[in-house]
Amino acid sequence: MKINDYKTNGKTPLQNATEASLYAKELQPKLNAMVTFTDLEPQVENLKNISKDALMYGVPIVLKDNVTTKGILTTASSKILGNYVPVYNAHIADKLRDAGAIVIGKSSMDELGMGGTNLSAATGPVYNPYDLSRISGGSSGGSAVLVAAGAVPFAIGTDTGDSVRKPASYNGIVGVKPTYGRISRYGIIPYASSLDHVGYFTRNMYDAALALEVLAGRDDRDMTSSFLPVEKYTEYSHDVTGKKIAVLKNVTDIIPSMELKEQMNHLEEELRKKGAVVEEVSMREDLLRAALAVYFIIANCEATANHSNLDGIRFGVQEGKDSYEDIMTKSRTAGFSGLIRKRFVIGSYGLFEENQERLLRKAQKVRRLIVDEMNELYKTYDAIVAPASLKGAPKATDAEDKLSNEYLIAESYMCLGNFSGYPSMTVPFAMVDGLPVGLNMTCRAFEEQTMFTIGQAIEEISGWCDKTVEVK
Amino acid sequence: MQYETVIGIEIHCELKTKTKMFSSAPVTFGQPANSCTNEIDLGHPGVLPCLNKKAVELAIRACTATHCTIDPLVKFDRKNYYYSDLPKGFQITQQFHPIGRNGYVDITVDGEKKQIRLNRIHMEEDTAKQFHGYQGTSIDFNRAGTPLIEIVSEPDMRNGKEAAAYVEALRTSLLYMNVSDVKMEEGSMRCDVNVSIRPAGSDTFGTKTEIKNLNSISNVQKAIDAEVARQTEVLENGGTIVQATYRFDEATRSTVMMRKKEGTVDYKFFPEPNIPPVQLDEKWIASIQENLPELPSQRYERYTTVYGLSDYDANVLINNKEVSDFYDEVMKHTKEGKLVANWTISELMAILNRENTPLSDCKIKPEHLAAMVEMIAKKEISGKQAKELFPDVVKGEDPKKLADARGMKQVSDVSAILAIVNQVLDEQPQSIIDYKNGKDRAIGFLVGQIMKKSKGQANPQLANQLVLQEIAKR
Repeated sequence: MKINDYKTNGKTPLQNATEASLYAKELQPKLNAMVTFTDLEPQVENLKNISKDALMYGVPIVLKDNVTTKGILTTASSKILGNYVPVYNAHIADKLRDAGAIVIGKSSMDELGMGGTNLSAATGPVYNPYDLSRISGGSSGGSAVLVAAGAVPFAIGTDTGDSVRKPASYNGIVGVKPTYGRISRYGIIPYASSLDHVGYFTRNMYDAALALEVLAGRDDRDMTSSFLPVEKYTEYSHDVTGKKIAVLKNVTDIIPSMELKEQMNHLEEELRKKGAVVEEVSMREDLLRAALAVYFIIANCEATANHSNLDGIRFGVQEGKDSYEDIMTKSRTAGFSGLIRKRFVIGSYGLFEENQERLLRKAQKVRRLIVDEMNELYKTYDAIVAPASLKGAPKATDAEDKLSNEYLIAESYMCLGNFSGYPSMTVPFAMVDGLPVGLNMTCRAFEEQTMFTIGQAIEEISGWCDKTVEVK
Repeated sequence: MQYETVIGIEIHCELKTKTKMFSSAPVTFGQPANSCTNEIDLGHPGVLPCLNKKAVELAIRACTATHCTIDPLVKFDRKNYYYSDLPKGFQITQQFHPIGRNGYVDITVDGEKKQIRLNRIHMEEDTAKQFHGYQGTSIDFNRAGTPLIEIVSEPDMRNGKEAAAYVEALRTSLLYMNVSDVKMEEGSMRCDVNVSIRPAGSDTFGTKTEIKNLNSISNVQKAIDAEVARQTEVLENGGTIVQATYRFDEATRSTVMMRKKEGTVDYKFFPEPNIPPVQLDEKWIASIQENLPELPSQRYERYTTVYGLSDYDANVLINNKEVSDFYDEVMKHTKEGKLVANWTISELMAILNRENTPLSDCKIKPEHLAAMVEMIAKKEISGKQAKELFPDVVKGEDPKKLADARGMKQVSDVSAILAIVNQVLDEQPQSIIDYKNGKDRAIGFLVGQIMKKSKGQANPQLANQLVLQEIAKR
């Protein structure tokens, strides 16, 4: 069901929300996607105050567990926030409530958003609905699988490197990360502030545009939030004639299977038939190879400072008692997994006065160079595209947050969307060995409409529209 | 050996804003603990800072008053360290791009003028307040996030007197600029003093120590004197100065070591990613600078030239801004500058001192004092009569109504007074003889009699004049 179908399917908002919640609970033993299920009645009761024309009136949705919700447990899938009940709502939680959405629960994620597998959540791994032995991808894994399985038509994720767009690829759904500043980050438990974006999942392009109309807009509590007016995104053009699309050769050249190669070629051909100009382009290989290192340094440096507030003193799980040092040390040692602590140590190392120039400052300079290189392409092209993954989701036993040199660029290039802040999304288009693979597309700043136009064409070509998977 | 003292001072000043540096929680003093905080001040997960425009305006005023060069591109950085009074685990400050640089403050010590250079003024947020008790530490987050400016001087001061004069000059400037309450005892102005000594004539610095938590300007001077004496003694006895933080103990008038400084802490400063650089509009800066409140030096100029006040009177008024502001209010209703100054300084301030109340609690209305002074100037009432009225004027009563109700009127009508004069002269022949025999005192007696007969309403100067005139005729 699409978002608008929930308003017209003859059921009450409570019925729709209850069914969604029950189905998510039924899936829980298989997918392990949820951290917390929420009370539906008070939310449905609140619909009295909301116009029936509201864009998500009575539509059941899911929030990633790093979206703060007043009075509702918000853990960011970390032990240290295992008992954390926020005193305030995230900006988007208010926006979604005012649009009439009913939050059925908070979904699992990689701990504090720091991962790409969703194996590091405090509540355990999230599994792929296409094959339960495979990963959902992360860090927004819980949200992705619930949309793919059809429990909800829409779910919030966040994206710092590719945390919406990679799981979208693995789960055969649309994953959108709009322009930095388009959606307020106020109330999103951060990972790395200069790279963090609010994003979301839907199963079709129209819903993706509709959701942005709900979420976008200036918020005075977020100084990086844009003043640009919110467009009628749903009125995006369905005509790709003349749209110039750059296929990123650095990635497509290393596609390992004929199966994916053929589907990629087919897509390019069909886009041309629809009137788009599709050309292969290359970016500087050395810059693309540096992207992961740049990402890793900036993200971890910002993260180590961002999470210094998690000290067990004012909120969260408190360990120790002898002194403030004792509380901080023990709370943080017990509260974070080893992987997170490792990232903090790396981030802290990058911030030391004697290292900062050589690590953080240098990474920021290379980030700038990469964005300059992207801007060169955007002088000619409306979009840069490439497969969001070269294969379907890996087996949970194989998946690691470590990358092989072979696929370094293919596995990490999507962070270019975070470096630049440009709008980027993944659209399902292929099946490889019975598993979905998406196409990633990145456009110019605030040109979300163009992105939806091209996405619509891809949806029409692939036939992937509102497809759900039956979980076996 | 002769030593030279070298002093540099860092001053933290709370800015007089309604809300905090990066949150909408109110800035207060003396409210119940943790009642004036929100999720931002408490460093809850997911919060973001939002820069307070008023704080930037006040920082610009402070920079202007101290002749600093203003950086129109405002940037912030994170200073990272773990402490229980620092909710986010970092403080947002301006490490790399302070809003003001290269300023100076003029001081006068023992009649000699000196310029103290400022290295920088930067904006930052305050930490929470901690109370260490026997049962542990309590934290009050009301202060967390309060806007601060830190003013860092160059090591230009050479003794405690200069340091005290510097702090006083800054304090007065910031008070007049309405930048801060500058109450050292309440902590809205906090001084950290760096002191070192070196052999006279040397151009290298000695090892410095830092004195923290000074709660008054006089203690700034006393603490420096004590610390210089301590350092001198250490060096004279062949010892070395150890870099450390001291506090001043008022009871023993000595500096006491709090902690040694072991190496420098790496605060891992880096640019704050949640606050994009803010380009200030040059017109906005100019409008702030053009509409600055009057500086104390400008007020002194106005008092001495426009109102003709003495140096002493001008300074007494200016040193108490509240009284000086009141004086200016009175002067909106009258032109009798000197007379108003006399009444304000010798009468009003005396009553306030005696009753130990601040002017803000006093009900006196500026227009009433103006009216009373006008009545004196126009000889409608005498000074003596005014003194009788004043206690009630201080209580908020209208002097005109008071004078009418009490039948107070100064008779300045020559014929009316002349009649009384001749009546008194007729009654007091002996006084006339006394006067003619050279006893000038007799005149005083005669005037007294006239005042008595007129029920105090005769204009005494006029009475005096007429007595002399009439007595000469007899």
